[in-house]
Amino acid sequence: MTELFQTLVQRPNFVVFVILFLWGIYIMAAHPNFVKKLIGLYIVQTSAIFFLVAFSAKNGATVPIIIEGVAADPSLYVNPLPHALTVTAIVVQVATLGVSLALVSAIYRRFGTLDEDEVMGQLKNE
Amino acid sequence: MSSHLPILLFLAPFFMGVSMPILTSKKPALSPNITLATVSIMVVLAILNLRVVLLEGPIEYAFGGWTAPLGIAWVNDSIAAIVVLTISVVSLLSVIYGRVVVTSELAKNTPHYALILIMMSGLVGLIFAADLFNIFVFLEVAALTGYALVGASGGKSLVYALRYLLLGTLGATLYLLGVSYLYVATGTLNMADLADRLPDLITSTAVAAGLIFIFLGLSIKMALIPLHSWLPDAYVSAPSSVAPLLASTVTKVALVAWVRIEYMLIGPNVDVSRVPVLVLLEELGVIAALIGGALALIQTDLKRMFAYGGVSHIGLILIGVSLGNDIGFAGGMFYLINDAVMQAGLFMIAGVVLYYHNVSTLDELKGLGHIASPWLTVTLIVVAIGMVGLPPTGGFFGKWNIILGALEAQHYIAAFAVVASTLLTFGYFLKVFAKWFHHPQSVEANSIAIEPGLRVSLGAISFLIVALGFMSDSVIQSLLASLNNGGL
Repeated sequence: MTELFQTLVQRPNFVVFVILFLWGIYIMAAHPNFVKKLIGLYIVQTSAIFFLVAFSAKNGATVPIIIEGVAADPSLYVNPLPHALTVTAIVVQVATLGVSLALVSAIYRRFGTLDEDEVMGQLKNE
Repeated sequence: MSSHLPILLFLAPFFMGVSMPILTSKKPALSPNITLATVSIMVVLAILNLRVVLLEGPIEYAFGGWTAPLGIAWVNDSIAAIVVLTISVVSLLSVIYGRVVVTSELAKNTPHYALILIMMSGLVGLIFAADLFNIFVFLEVAALTGYALVGASGGKSLVYALRYLLLGTLGATLYLLGVSYLYVATGTLNMADLADRLPDLITSTAVAAGLIFIFLGLSIKMALIPLHSWLPDAYVSAPSSVAPLLASTVTKVALVAWVRIEYMLIGPNVDVSRVPVLVLLEELGVIAALIGGALALIQTDLKRMFAYGGVSHIGLILIGVSLGNDIGFAGGMFYLINDAVMQAGLFMIAGVVLYYHNVSTLDELKGLGHIASPWLTVTLIVVAIGMVGLPPTGGFFGKWNIILGALEAQHYIAAFAVVASTLLTFGYFLKVFAKWFHHPQSVEANSIAIEPGLRVSLGAISFLIVALGFMSDSVIQSLLASLNNGGL
């Protein structure tokens, strides 16, 4: 038990990731409002991106540009690949944001409400 | 030139899709023709590509000349080539069909056609990708356009498109998490490289968790029971003109991506804390095949019944590829090709019935066999034979090989599930035919003639289902060749 506690305290980044992830899923499941569901979804996506950034962080390291004449020592540089992945994942997240907001605004124009229960009620009556 | 075929297959629909709004700004009526031309070019390129692969063996396409693991690679083996050809042919037929059945509102809508082409490019990328992160990006390209296409007709389809988006994006995020876990454990994203490094690490909890996240994410995308809840609503409310395209491609291609990962990373005898992984996947397939078939049997809506039929077939394919022997694997992949064609056929039939006779439920179908076009009735019979899996259709040879593989592996539950799901499929088609050939109260013998475009697409689907049966041996041999030549 103490060991588990110790591991958690040593890795605050990953604790934050788990909290964000579960929190996002809770919001998605618990709120009937479509916009709040989307907010939950973005928190889940952000937590995954946060995880990518968290594991690639390195104390005292610099940008991975090799300067001529200076010996290249891998331990001095940050691994650039997770950051490239992060940027791509953010682009995907933004694209999803665009499509989902377009759908939500179309739903609002069509049904006059953003509440999932009310929309489903209207669909049943049709 | 021939070595650049994979990237051309991707670029053709992508370029045309992106430039569609510019090309058709003066004449929006041109957009269906441009779509049709582009997809025809894709079919030609896919045939050339298959020929090159069959003659020269699997090719690794390295982007910008940077070979893997430094650069990004695509694997162009016979499985990828055959699946790309299937997807292109099915899309060509769906586009021909969609030109007729499209609503007048969507027919003039240029972005709608651009979305179809961009989705095609995403699917092609997904099939070729040999890099875990590349799969994530293409998964999202195909999925985002899919959400927009489902919601294209407005009204209640918007709600189901948003639900599809919520679940689909959650799946993609889980997949990304799984990829990050594997990257942390191994330091690589290239699949061949991962396959080298994973066997020593397979007992690590990070790798196991990563694989579970990847599987969860992809099983939302491929609508594996119990994560299928988005599929029936989305496909039933999607516009009739794109429903065949969506139903036949999106879930199958997500499954192809999983098959690649499974085959590369999880060998036959891998067990994580004494649980044999492949057997576990196979049992999930058994559950999906049986529950999907049972759910299809109790539906009253035609499209919904067909959608659940597709869900149960995803389970069958997963059984085949998870048996751990070549014959089951080949059977599963061959069934996947057949299923893409049959799903397109089913949704075309449902779309035509809705378009000409305004019929969407099973009860309204009563006596339709007497007034429907013979093209429709014959296609329905051929597709039903294929779905049930009777010779000489391709469906029979797929199921037969899956059962042979299950018996070889001595997994009798899997063999039983294939037979039981066949019976369930037979059950719900019996319901359709009982209504279809029901004798009407007032006899009016004139059958309604359907448009030439529909005759072409329905006829071609029936032809393909039977032709795949006759070609089954050579297709299965070339699928197996890709396993033995170090492809995948």
